Amino acid sequence: MSEPVLELKDLAVSFRTPKGEVEAVRGVDLAVNEGEILCLVGESGCGKTVLCQSVMHLLPKYSFVKHGSMSVCGEDITHYSERQMRHIRGRNCSMVFQDPLTTLNPTIPIGKQIMEAIRKQEKVSREEASDRAMELLDLVGIEGAAHRFSLQPHFFSGGMRQRCVLAIALASNPKLLFADEATTALDVTVEAKILDLLREIRQKTGIAIVFISHDLGAVARIADRVAVMYAGRIVEIGTADEIFYDPRHPYTWGLLSSLPALAAESGELRPIPGMPPSLLDPPPGDAFAERNEYALAIDYEKMPPMFPVSDTHFAATWLLDPRAPRVEPPIRLKAGSGKWTKT
Amino acid sequence: MRITSLSKRIIRRIGLLILVMFILSLVVFFLARLAPGDPLQSFYGDQLDSMTQEEIDAARVRLGLNDGLVQQYIRWFTNALHGEFGISLKHKQPVMNVVKPLIGNTLLLGVLAYAAVFGLATVLAVFCVLHEDRFLDRLICRIGTVFYYTPGFWLGVVLVLIFAVNLGWFPSSGAYDIGMKNDLGNRVSHLVLPLFVMIASHLWYYAYMIRNKLLDEVRKDYVLLAKSKGCTRRQIVWKHCLRNVAPTIVSIMAISIPHVTGGTVVVESVFSYPGIGNLAVEAAKYHDYNLLMVDVLITGFAVFVSSFIAQTINEEIDPRMKEMETIQW
Repeated sequence: MSEPVLELKDLAVSFRTPKGEVEAVRGVDLAVNEGEILCLVGESGCGKTVLCQSVMHLLPKYSFVKHGSMSVCGEDITHYSERQMRHIRGRNCSMVFQDPLTTLNPTIPIGKQIMEAIRKQEKVSREEASDRAMELLDLVGIEGAAHRFSLQPHFFSGGMRQRCVLAIALASNPKLLFADEATTALDVTVEAKILDLLREIRQKTGIAIVFISHDLGAVARIADRVAVMYAGRIVEIGTADEIFYDPRHPYTWGLLSSLPALAAESGELRPIPGMPPSLLDPPPGDAFAERNEYALAIDYEKMPPMFPVSDTHFAATWLLDPRAPRVEPPIRLKAGSGKWTKT
Repeated sequence: MRITSLSKRIIRRIGLLILVMFILSLVVFFLARLAPGDPLQSFYGDQLDSMTQEEIDAARVRLGLNDGLVQQYIRWFTNALHGEFGISLKHKQPVMNVVKPLIGNTLLLGVLAYAAVFGLATVLAVFCVLHEDRFLDRLICRIGTVFYYTPGFWLGVVLVLIFAVNLGWFPSSGAYDIGMKNDLGNRVSHLVLPLFVMIASHLWYYAYMIRNKLLDEVRKDYVLLAKSKGCTRRQIVWKHCLRNVAPTIVSIMAISIPHVTGGTVVVESVFSYPGIGNLAVEAAKYHDYNLLMVDVLITGFAVFVSSFIAQTINEEIDPRMKEMETIQW
């Protein structure tokens, strides 16, 4: 197997704020391979976006990498300068943002914005760039590209704008694409189309995609692997099947049972009680312990390590320790039915 | 389609221009007459004291000052429609003859100052944004604050003292030396000090305004996208952000015309620069109604036309500002 496109080793990212250091990402190990779609899920504020933006070096100046490292395409970019990042961004990794209404420059025609992305990374002529931009618009499924090329973003619907952003992100054939809640601002039918488009593009180009979402429906549709984040750490990671059919972390259970579509059969929606902890002063043990009805005494004291469940499935909960009491997950997805039942 | 709607817009604006000029003339006409004082004083000067009551009354009738205000206005208006703006009471000649030779001087000073203020303000603003919160940015903002609160007339006087009286580098007053009206070097040397005062007292205000606008702009989402494409911060500010704040800059430029023109009044009087700004002050002081009307209408016209131009430029930069036109897909 070739080396991973994205490799994070014990990465921690913090922000300096007037109230003190906010530890947004607290030691993440992650590897994403070529052609793989990895979904990062978790509540707002759990560090998903910070994780991606720190790899892109898009975070504000008062943030810093506390420890650990990140490599993209085998290149360690942890301490890359702005100048060095210019050649990484766009070419090796690029990003699609949450709100397509604000991520495009409102006054510049779409075609020009795509051409700019192409010409930033490759010295090509205007004509060549314009041809490539047309192809990209075609790739992301915008019909009548020639006609729409010279229109400003406000002539486009939200879904079409997100396709344009995607075209810009794909302009220099990056190896890795971060899609930061790329479909959250879109309505469900458009969302489904964009998700299918992402999969199709992966098929065509072999790009690796890190897809951030808190919409488990979208995740189920697109993910190869899923990483569940909580309070700046990955608490469970596995293939999509493993996470959906055999979740092991109580937080994952909570996430799944608070999903309306899947909780329908049991007739009740169970939100996770409480709030995530403040990352100004994170708890020493399992950050989820306070909201966890299955929490053990040790959860409050010691951070659980990643326990392997299978070759691909890991979860950070003391419940997996051989000494822990056996706990039945509160819900289980019946294989094949797509419905959840209470156990 | 575009052409019809553009001509429609122009026709609408011309209609608006006529309306605005009419209202402006009305307001100035009646406001000027509200001020206490006797216009005869400026016409006859000291002579007035030795005139008999009959002579004064006769003069009032002759100058049309005895009629009702409304009647006076109607007379002024009809004459104005024929291109007759009356005579200046102080200068005792048709107002146009008084105004014409001075317009050029004010235009020269005003346009140069104006272009320099906004050109430099934009460059300074971009520079500050690129150095946001670093030493140079703060330094420029501090210098700006000092200059902004320095009164223009004081600065003018100090500059005259240093550069005209002590060093003798530049002349202290006038627009040109006698007989050197068409000598470029002579005119430039007369312009240096007034221009400097105009720029120094207006630049910072606008630079600060544009800087803050740009700072809002560089925090927008599209900047992140541009950055993730591989653009440098400098490219993003020049190509993306500046373009998006350009409509604001252009609008500020349009409405700042009276502000900068107001500045020429101060500068023109400190440097005894013969221009219409100084003229307007005198006209108001001496109840020279006809002169005041023409002066104000010229300024009003300039403001209106420039805001029209600004609007048109803005619509070119950002088509969203255009009245929505149907797009055929």
